[in-house]
Amino acid sequence: MTTQEVRLCGLLLQEHFGNVVEKVGTHLIRSGVLTLRALAHETKLPLDLVKKSLCVLVQHGMCTFGAGRRGPAGPVEYRINCEHVFHMLRYPRYIYTAKSLYGDTGELIVEEILQRGHMTMSSTVKTVADRLTHNMPEGQSMDYSEVVSVFSQLVETHFLQRCPPLASAGSSSSGAVDTPLPVATQPTEPESHPDCYKLPYINLTGQGKRRRSSEDGEADQCCGDDDGIYWQVNFQRFHLHFRDQAIISAVSCKLDQSSSEIVRTMLRMSEVTTPAHAAFTQALSANEIFRALLSSYNIARPILDQYLSLLVDDPMEFVGKTGDSGGGMYVVNLHRALANLARATLESVVQERFGSRSARIFRLLLRKRHLEQKQVEDFAMIPAKEAKDMLYKLLSENLVQLQEIPKTPDYAPSRTFYLYTVNQLPTARLLLQHCYKTVGNLIERRLYETKENKRLLEKSQRIEAILASLQATGAEAAQLTEVEEMITVPERQQLESLRHHINKLDSSENQVDETIFLLKSYINSTQASL
Amino acid sequence: MTEVKVKKESTDPVDIENRIKELCLQFPHGITDQVIQNDMPHVEVQQRAMAINRLLSVGQLDLLKNSNGLLYRLKDAQSASKVKGSDNQEKLVYQIIEDAGNKGIWTRDIRYKSNLPLTEINKILKNLESKKLIKAVKSVAASKKKVYMLYNLQPDRSVTGGAWYSDQDFESEFVEVLNQQCFKFLQSKAEAARDSKQSPMVQRNSSFATSHEVWKYICELGISKVDLSMEDIETILNTLIFDGKVEMTIIAAKEGTVGSVDGQMKLYRGVNPIIQPTGLVKIPCGLCPVFDDCHEGGEISPSNCVYMAEWLDF
Repeated sequence: MTTQEVRLCGLLLQEHFGNVVEKVGTHLIRSGVLTLRALAHETKLPLDLVKKSLCVLVQHGMCTFGAGRRGPAGPVEYRINCEHVFHMLRYPRYIYTAKSLYGDTGELIVEEILQRGHMTMSSTVKTVADRLTHNMPEGQSMDYSEVVSVFSQLVETHFLQRCPPLASAGSSSSGAVDTPLPVATQPTEPESHPDCYKLPYINLTGQGKRRRSSEDGEADQCCGDDDGIYWQVNFQRFHLHFRDQAIISAVSCKLDQSSSEIVRTMLRMSEVTTPAHAAFTQALSANEIFRALLSSYNIARPILDQYLSLLVDDPMEFVGKTGDSGGGMYVVNLHRALANLARATLESVVQERFGSRSARIFRLLLRKRHLEQKQVEDFAMIPAKEAKDMLYKLLSENLVQLQEIPKTPDYAPSRTFYLYTVNQLPTARLLLQHCYKTVGNLIERRLYETKENKRLLEKSQRIEAILASLQATGAEAAQLTEVEEMITVPERQQLESLRHHINKLDSSENQVDETIFLLKSYINSTQASL
Repeated sequence: MTEVKVKKESTDPVDIENRIKELCLQFPHGITDQVIQNDMPHVEVQQRAMAINRLLSVGQLDLLKNSNGLLYRLKDAQSASKVKGSDNQEKLVYQIIEDAGNKGIWTRDIRYKSNLPLTEINKILKNLESKKLIKAVKSVAASKKKVYMLYNLQPDRSVTGGAWYSDQDFESEFVEVLNQQCFKFLQSKAEAARDSKQSPMVQRNSSFATSHEVWKYICELGISKVDLSMEDIETILNTLIFDGKVEMTIIAAKEGTVGSVDGQMKLYRGVNPIIQPTGLVKIPCGLCPVFDDCHEGGEISPSNCVYMAEWLDF
């Protein structure tokens, strides 16, 4: 774990779960694997606080536990999964995707499960129905069956999955034999469980209850038929969806709308059949693609063939042809598309940061691998002095590396070739660390802004509370305006600008997260193929 | 007993010289001392040396050195007349410069080859320049370096830099203008193809332009004072590729179709970038020059970052 990653994890944990969890979490990240007692001792926190924090982290799937180094008989060891903590940055994107695919119901389902970590189906359905009913006009209420249908759709398309079952040592209710705990180093994959995507058969009928402020707001904790079957968000599936979206938008930018629709169809057909880290999708024949194309696109069969051959010929190589049966077998080159997207990201960073001429040199080195100083000047058609300046600037930022090839065994400078080169993978890793640091900076700035204006924010909250209570008890307009004027105009402006700042910082976190996603997918794809 | 008459060869010096010249004609690459000795075994060393020296001084014979020894070669009649009136040293220097061809040669190299002191060389060079036999050309690689070559030779591209250099200065504006013009041409072609709404294959093929077409377009535009060849245009188009604005494919073309080189043609086409500027660069941190110095609690930190403050108020 790099410094920046640890810092970012700490900030995210603090923001979502508070100081105690943050302390426990960062300590555990830094130390790797620890037992409960060691963790409590080193963080100097009371044991039950540590236990509670670990519960929170396990609930959200960020912490795993298992038999430690001393074998099953020894104390249990805990470790934190950093990647999972970073997913917290992406929660808005997941919720937005669910909303665009499955409407408000889907949005609320995903939001609830993300907030709670694990939930049973029945409790999710009840909560979501209640929330939806709350927002509906008087007299209407949300039927459970609608929520259940959206839930089952989410499960069918693998966006939600069951949590892997944990063998509970010493539980006699299920009559299970004491099964050994899974070893801490090998967390069970949720997909290895055969019933991963099977909906439990439960009888859920009813409607959402509108919660009145006068009523007692306690939801009844009825024991549903599906106790023990917990559902969690399948992050990997969401990531595959994001990756597909990135590929489709790249195709539509490079070629045209119809080509991107064809690629979208191809990706949709192979959504659930392609394994997560595959380099290519399943081979699809042109006949299948034609049948699966929506009629609204209005693409005739010979035109489809032309588009497919254009996609195959394109230098970006998004689509490849693997055979001729069935009118031609086509695959989408996932790893290559990711590499192209990562390369475009690197190039755009260099372009924005150093100018278009430096970007020209950078692209030149990416294409031609190794070049001497003189060759760089010639190919890029930039005057020698400026080219030298730009190359040294890029070199000092570590975006370009220097390779020495000696002519003589002593590396005498006059008798050595110095070649400039760019390696895509290490540069992508470097930029990824930059991104983590940037997000950390943004979060810190946001906290700072909030802290600076704490007094003002508290005042405005008090005023709003007074206003609300006055309105509820039916006050006159004069009293209301009097209360409102307690906030002066400059203060109001300050509040406005503060709100604007915080919104901007929030949205920019999401933007940087997009870059993080592209670079991380690319790095993972290169590791998977090793 | 018949006397074998050994014809006595005349040892006339002129005859010796003529004989040597004939031998040179026989062996145009040059003859060594050994060859002359074999041909005229009766001639003494002294006489031979005298004859050779005479020929050298008159300027009809060239003295060369190779790995085995000295070679004598008949000098061109034309060039022999040119340096008439110059003394041996000048002839030597002229020889060296002539050998350098159109790449030219530097004064230090002349000194090495001729083993003459620097002052002598400079005098000779000035002399030859005034006689309009050689000229100095400034090299574009090192602006202080002067190379000398024969007066009537065109300097090589590596010295003057070709079409992109005028008076040793790289013409960046010229290159920029050409760059933009080529890109506009290709872009408009691509747009016309897109608007034509024909089948996608035809659309893509009509958005391509061969390098020959681009070259013709640039020539007709007339923005260049210098004649540009197709290779020059191709280097400009390569820079457009490195800008990410253009892509290139090579197709096989029939020999003889206009613009084809070695049975291939290069086609260029304007393209759009595949992603929008990435998220990281929309934040000041992505472009910050002091990014590495920034950390919480330091002089430069997110809390007191000036760039961020400006950006937030934007």
